[in-house]
Amino acid sequence: MSEEPKPDAKAPAAKAAPAKKTFPPAKFNEKAGRLLKTTRYWPTELWANPWNKPSYRRGALLLGGIILGLLATGAAVGELAVWGDRLYAWLLAFISARGGSPVLAQGIWAVFKGLLVLHVILLNGLWAVWWERKISAHIQSRVGPVYAGGFHGWAQTICDGIKLLLKEDITPAASDAWVHALAPAIVVVPVVAAFAPVSFGRQLAAANLDVGVLYVFAMAGISVIGIVMAGWASGNKYSLLGGLRACAQLVSYELPRGFSIVPVLMFAGSLNISAIAAAQAGYKWGFLPRWFIFYPVVGQLAFLIFLIASIAETNRTPFDIPEAESELVSGFHTEYSGMKWSIFFLSEYGYVLLASFLLAAFFLGGGASPFAFDHLIPSWIWMLGKAMLMMFLFLWARWTFPRLRADQLMDFNWKFLLPWSFANIALAGVWLLLS
Amino acid sequence: MSSTAEKTMKTDSMFINLGPQHPSTHGVLRVGLTIEGELITKAVPDIGYLHRGTSKLAEVRGYHHCVVLTDRWDYVAAMPNNLVFCLAAEKLMEVQAPPRAEALRVLMCELNRVASHLLFFGTYGIDIGAFTPFLYAFREREMILDLFEMACGARLTYNYIRLGGVMADVPPEWLAKCREFVDYFKPRIDEYDTLLTYNPIFMARTKEVGLIPAADAVSWSLSGANLRGSGVCYDVRKSDPYCGYERYSFDVPLGQTGSCWDRYFCRVQEMRQSIRIIEQVLGGLPEGPTMAAGVAKIPKPKPGEAYAHVEGARGDLGIFLVSDGQASPYRMHVRAPSFLNLAILQELLVGNKVSDVIAILGSIDIVLGEVDR
Amino acid sequence: MIDYFAKVLRAAWNTCKGLGLTLKYLFKPAITVHYPDEKLVPYERFRGALLFDAVTCISCNLCVKACPSTCIDLENATIPDPKNPQARKKVARVEWYSIDFGKCNFCRLCEESCPTKPKSVWHSLDYELVFFSRDEMVRCWKAGMSWVGQYWDRRAKQFKDPPGQVRIMEVDARR
Repeated sequence: MSEEPKPDAKAPAAKAAPAKKTFPPAKFNEKAGRLLKTTRYWPTELWANPWNKPSYRRGALLLGGIILGLLATGAAVGELAVWGDRLYAWLLAFISARGGSPVLAQGIWAVFKGLLVLHVILLNGLWAVWWERKISAHIQSRVGPVYAGGFHGWAQTICDGIKLLLKEDITPAASDAWVHALAPAIVVVPVVAAFAPVSFGRQLAAANLDVGVLYVFAMAGISVIGIVMAGWASGNKYSLLGGLRACAQLVSYELPRGFSIVPVLMFAGSLNISAIAAAQAGYKWGFLPRWFIFYPVVGQLAFLIFLIASIAETNRTPFDIPEAESELVSGFHTEYSGMKWSIFFLSEYGYVLLASFLLAAFFLGGGASPFAFDHLIPSWIWMLGKAMLMMFLFLWARWTFPRLRADQLMDFNWKFLLPWSFANIALAGVWLLLS
Repeated sequence: MSSTAEKTMKTDSMFINLGPQHPSTHGVLRVGLTIEGELITKAVPDIGYLHRGTSKLAEVRGYHHCVVLTDRWDYVAAMPNNLVFCLAAEKLMEVQAPPRAEALRVLMCELNRVASHLLFFGTYGIDIGAFTPFLYAFREREMILDLFEMACGARLTYNYIRLGGVMADVPPEWLAKCREFVDYFKPRIDEYDTLLTYNPIFMARTKEVGLIPAADAVSWSLSGANLRGSGVCYDVRKSDPYCGYERYSFDVPLGQTGSCWDRYFCRVQEMRQSIRIIEQVLGGLPEGPTMAAGVAKIPKPKPGEAYAHVEGARGDLGIFLVSDGQASPYRMHVRAPSFLNLAILQELLVGNKVSDVIAILGSIDIVLGEVDR
Repeated sequence: MIDYFAKVLRAAWNTCKGLGLTLKYLFKPAITVHYPDEKLVPYERFRGALLFDAVTCISCNLCVKACPSTCIDLENATIPDPKNPQARKKVARVEWYSIDFGKCNFCRLCEESCPTKPKSVWHSLDYELVFFSRDEMVRCWKAGMSWVGQYWDRRAKQFKDPPGQVRIMEVDARR
């Protein structure tokens, strides 16, 4: 306040100056210590030649650098399964040297693997939220979080997580308190369990289940109970509608989702996810990978149906009618706050990751390299890359499409996806007969 | 048998308060919905949350002051509000705005129509569930608001069109900026078509939903795109031209069935037509003064009454002014298109699904500032 | 049958076009402004917070009359009348001047009505008006104060600078 211009010093000058017809360029008082920005943000100026902008060049360089860095890290580390085997061998030797039984080593190893997978899901929550915010922002000509953490807002989700932990946990008066509290747990536990047989690369799965596919679908089906419970127990009419919609939607979309991968199972001849991924090894004509998505018509159809059904299973736009901010005011999680609310999101992103890994394993050859000449990059990098690509499809669709109506959703499922998934099974049979 | 089945299967209906804090009521509208499952059996729109009594306020304010009040009705498109009041008051005062001022008025009103329809486009996208079109629309709307800021200094409540002309001539670099915007904007409308208009999900959501037959549209006295969506060709700019609209060539887009999609499509087409008008105005902007001579500081028009109406962004916006020779109007009545368009909602919603409520409400395109005034 | 496939293909094509559009914008530079770090300078005619200069003001009351919402108030300065020692004579200066930003419409009518050159009351380019109480909305000028900016604290019975608030900023371009 003290630097304020003195009226006596200023005013005579102002009075003496002749009245100006045109204004000099206006500018802010720089004494206030503010950053000045004189350009207007018109897209016509900004999009004229983006490569002239240093920030744009920097961003492109950064993206390329990150991808190259990941590939280089992968090449340096090598197959994770080899390291795992070494670690297990060391553990076995360590325990048997001290007179323990191998069962103990197996037990410790199983717990260790379980914890690793659990952390995949938890870290995925942090990563996927940030990535979704970034992707959606750039799709919408925004930049998304940029401040937290300093570097492109990498710490934004961590800060949000802390904020959510500190938020008040509200249980509405009209709610059924026990069911209200139980619902998030019932939603999130199956997604953790469902990750057990998921293959993260060559021989990289927590449990090598022979009925892996069935197990994953069975587990994923449980979550709907939690969502219905959440909708019912909230004591809110909008939540109730959301919960009921979710129930109908999730149960319906299980069917095309399950049937769409029957062709894959027929080709691979196995229900083991790692085996399905392994069945796609090799290259046709020396360059085209033998991935199921490249099987004409059958592969693409199965991929599309599985992708669409997966989007519906994860309650994301264009199938987010259980949440539907503009209609149901977020539906079944309207009345949730703090950590309970974030657990719903954790499970949603967990399912997105699950679907991405399944898509990668079923249709994109799992950890197989897309290039016949590549023997350097390990399978887990490819698997990760493919899964992230699939996750991008989820985000991309979410930020492009409007939302279907509940009855149209059902129509689309029962009258379009399901018949075509049946037809696809027949097509797959014909394909198998011919080849 | 069937009666007992009905009796036993009878479920309770549920009352849902849609609003006034619901995200899709576009302001503070409250709709009391009675639903059976997802079907609406009764809908009661409840208005008045934003009532500020501007008609009454006008009775104690001078004519120049009333222009400021008009900004606050339809705050999404305030230029036509300014214009309609000025036209009515000019009729009372027997003043004619100079040609350049008239051209500028047309220019600003059409720009504002585009801005308003962009807001409709964006929020309708959100209503249907697509968030991205909203930000694309606001990106373009921001440019129009920039143009307004450049011309009159405000971005929302302009007070630009004044009795006898406009506030000030546009700055010299403004016209170039406006042309830049027009060139930028034309391909964007095609992108909107790609993103929303012809998106199969959007069409499924809005076609054959919220049908208003032409006869109903007329008997509920709808106006604007809601009326034209039903195929009734009524546009004040054509039927009762003002500010020299008869000089510009443009088409009145019409819908066929009166569905939500038709109303939406009419507005998107109107944006194209507005751009056509803007190009014509920019091409032949007459030189000269922008304010008529002889507008008093405190006008006291002769006793009498005047009615003026314009095609606002939401429909036929009219003002009835009565003067008793004093410095402030004796009575000001506003024919607010949003208010009249909203009335059909109670009939339109019944028999639809909860999701469709949002689609229909959005397609009517109300601004609560104008409904409640 | 052909109709069915045509419909499906058309829907798929339109869907893909939408996806292509969003992908196109994914790689375009962002158009947003990082507000507290970057601030846009408004255009010259921007109608921001009102500023007042007591030195040029002739206390003609036109702005008070022009204001549609009566947000401006002022009082003439007086000097002792040499002819009549009991009475005081009005002079063309203000004693005090106050603007209620809670009522202000930012309509530019006061600035247009101001007869002095340069304008004694005019819109600055400041768009950062934040208030913590209704009292703070009423900004005053009184002899001894520099610019219009302080408010009358009713409890403390004195003029105060609004706490924690950015001052109404001065604009070089004065109309």
